[in-house]
Amino acid sequence: MNDMQWTPIGSEPLPPPLPPTRVDFTGNRTEFRKLVTKGAMLELVTFGFYRFWLVTDVRRHLWANTAIDGDAAEYTGRAKELLVGFLFALAILVPIYLAYFLVGIEFERWQGFASTPLFISFYAFGQFAIFRARRYRLTRTVWRGVRFWMDGSGWAYSFRAMLWGLLVFLTLGLALPWREASLERYKMRHTHYGDLRGEFAGDGWTFFKRGWWLWLLSPIALVIFPLAPFFYAEFKAREWRWWLDGIRIGGVSLSSELPHNAFYGLYWKVIGWWTLLSAIFGAYIGGATMLVVALSGLSVEQAFGPGNAAKSIPMLVMMVVGYLALALALNIVMRVYLQRDLWAKVLETVDVHNIAAAADVRGSAELASALGEGFADGLDVAGF
Amino acid sequence: MNKLSTETPAQSAKPTIFFDGVSSRRRQVTLTLGDALEIAEEGGGPVVWPYADIRRADSPAGILRLACASAPPLARLEIRDALLASNVTARCMRLDEHQTSRRGVAKIVGWSMAAAVSIVCVVLFGVPLAADRLAPLVPKPIERRIGDASEVQVKTIFGRNLCEDAAGKAAFIKLVNRLRDAAGLDDDSMTAGVLPTPVPNAFALPGGKVFVLKGLLDKAESPDELAGILAHELGHLKHYDNMRGLIYNGGTSFLIGLLFGDVTGSSAVIFASRSVVEASYSREAETAADTFAIEIMHALGRSPKPAAELMFRITGKEGGGLTSILSSHPLTEDRLARMTKEDRPPSGPPLLTNQEWTALKSICGSGKI
Repeated sequence: MNDMQWTPIGSEPLPPPLPPTRVDFTGNRTEFRKLVTKGAMLELVTFGFYRFWLVTDVRRHLWANTAIDGDAAEYTGRAKELLVGFLFALAILVPIYLAYFLVGIEFERWQGFASTPLFISFYAFGQFAIFRARRYRLTRTVWRGVRFWMDGSGWAYSFRAMLWGLLVFLTLGLALPWREASLERYKMRHTHYGDLRGEFAGDGWTFFKRGWWLWLLSPIALVIFPLAPFFYAEFKAREWRWWLDGIRIGGVSLSSELPHNAFYGLYWKVIGWWTLLSAIFGAYIGGATMLVVALSGLSVEQAFGPGNAAKSIPMLVMMVVGYLALALALNIVMRVYLQRDLWAKVLETVDVHNIAAAADVRGSAELASALGEGFADGLDVAGF
Repeated sequence: MNKLSTETPAQSAKPTIFFDGVSSRRRQVTLTLGDALEIAEEGGGPVVWPYADIRRADSPAGILRLACASAPPLARLEIRDALLASNVTARCMRLDEHQTSRRGVAKIVGWSMAAAVSIVCVVLFGVPLAADRLAPLVPKPIERRIGDASEVQVKTIFGRNLCEDAAGKAAFIKLVNRLRDAAGLDDDSMTAGVLPTPVPNAFALPGGKVFVLKGLLDKAESPDELAGILAHELGHLKHYDNMRGLIYNGGTSFLIGLLFGDVTGSSAVIFASRSVVEASYSREAETAADTFAIEIMHALGRSPKPAAELMFRITGKEGGGLTSILSSHPLTEDRLARMTKEDRPPSGPPLLTNQEWTALKSICGSGKI
């Protein structure tokens, strides 16, 4: 049975290092665009409730078209889990909001605006949600019939994130690389693929060396506005590459040749679309105003002046419709460029070394609930 | 779909791969299409999947990936040969049973609509009702605590200390007491003061705290003008408008936020609809407080009109159009018109003597702030 020369068996002595394997993304762009367009429209008519199904479909598409060593991954999460997680999170968040309100009153009694720091508790909660949401996504990620999973504590993670956040704040952002390295180490060490354990080999110093000058130059971007997207794209590309280079799972390691200017095009395309759509929206509002003025036979001052509240209602409706269309179009643009294209762009640069170490991994672990995703949704910290 | 029904082991050029769902071992297998799907690895016993249990799993184009309801949940069979794939799919009648169908999507849309309609109904009818019913039931100590908290905030913004000129204070207390008695508010439930700031305004806080800002006092030309405004604020206290507003705003923000969720960029919609809904609710409360002020002033034998004139002096003519849908108060010109209609020649004694009025005007010291 071992005549399949392309399948190294774990029990045998490992062969000498093979050339790295690639990660292929085979997703069809048109198909994805149709998927998010349909999803965005449904999201609109369902007042946003369709987001659980859309997010799930997007992940299913991205996962299923990502092949490592020739075998595609699979996302087994379902939208209903997200919906249930969201409802549970809501049931927990409501009393917390109430408690927040009551504690806030006591603080305010003592000193005006003293309750502002209470916001920090929501930040902590958000970090917890990020960790738990990651756990949900990982346990729904299957490759070769074995799932990823995570242990570790969301609160321990949140505590670290808070302390590091404070340090980043005090150092005006200089400590950011070390914060990311530490948090990533915590996440990866608690990440598993079957019986393989993850590790993060990246360190803050390496990241710092790759990006410190961006930190120095960032004030310039505040003055010369068009530079900001370049700086951000530069930073993100360096961050991604550093992150990918650090990932280890068992004996498997990743490396990436992501060029530093990889995201320039993506961000500028998004900005271009944004400008174009805003211009169209502006023209639409202008046209609608002229239409209202022409139909009502009044001058602009009269139509929007005092005593014409009733006449401005059609205008208001047209504005809302236009705005929703704009939001819908931007939603599609963001998902196509910043999720699908970014995903493809990053993956095509990734090399996987020693994939043979994952050739015979035994599956383990339980499924995590989608409660974390629900919190992340309720607190607006949701990621991919 | 291809209707080939060969009973012979279907062999193919492209390999068929099986993952047993226990280990990540990639197993090359051959398939036998009998009464059930037999998956045989060279040298091992076959795994049997009944056709009725086979479901399609997500896969990239060109690969048919199957799962089986009666096998380990992550066991996967990947068929890369198109002909073999169509042979297998032809036999699996319930292949796509678990996928979201058109009907499934319609169901999601339907339920979302129902949820949205119910939330809108709750915002329009349920929350105001709950606010009206619950506000009088909020225990006084809690109301007072909320009031204390907002008082600290107000004083942080408008200055720490109340104006304390003795004669002015006596006049102010006299005026407030007369209004309070006419309003029928409890003795202990009310405090009032003048804050030294040039902003022309007055407001009532939870727990019966009424504040007049010095700017308003400066603009007022007679005791009746100030009294009408104070009566309006007492109306808010009498109607528990603070607590009602609090419950109402909290409830609607929460529900409207829930309704729109995180459709990208919808925060503007949330903000806009909240403003419209809450403004209309607060306009109702303001109109009710005006009604109350008119009643009090009539009961004291004074006209409510001067107060509206004072307001008009401060705001000027307010626009119409969009602003009126969004504004929290009725338009000043409308309020002036209403109070003018209620204008009656004074039948009661003046609320303050000239002397007292002069003292009140200089309650914060004679100089400008």
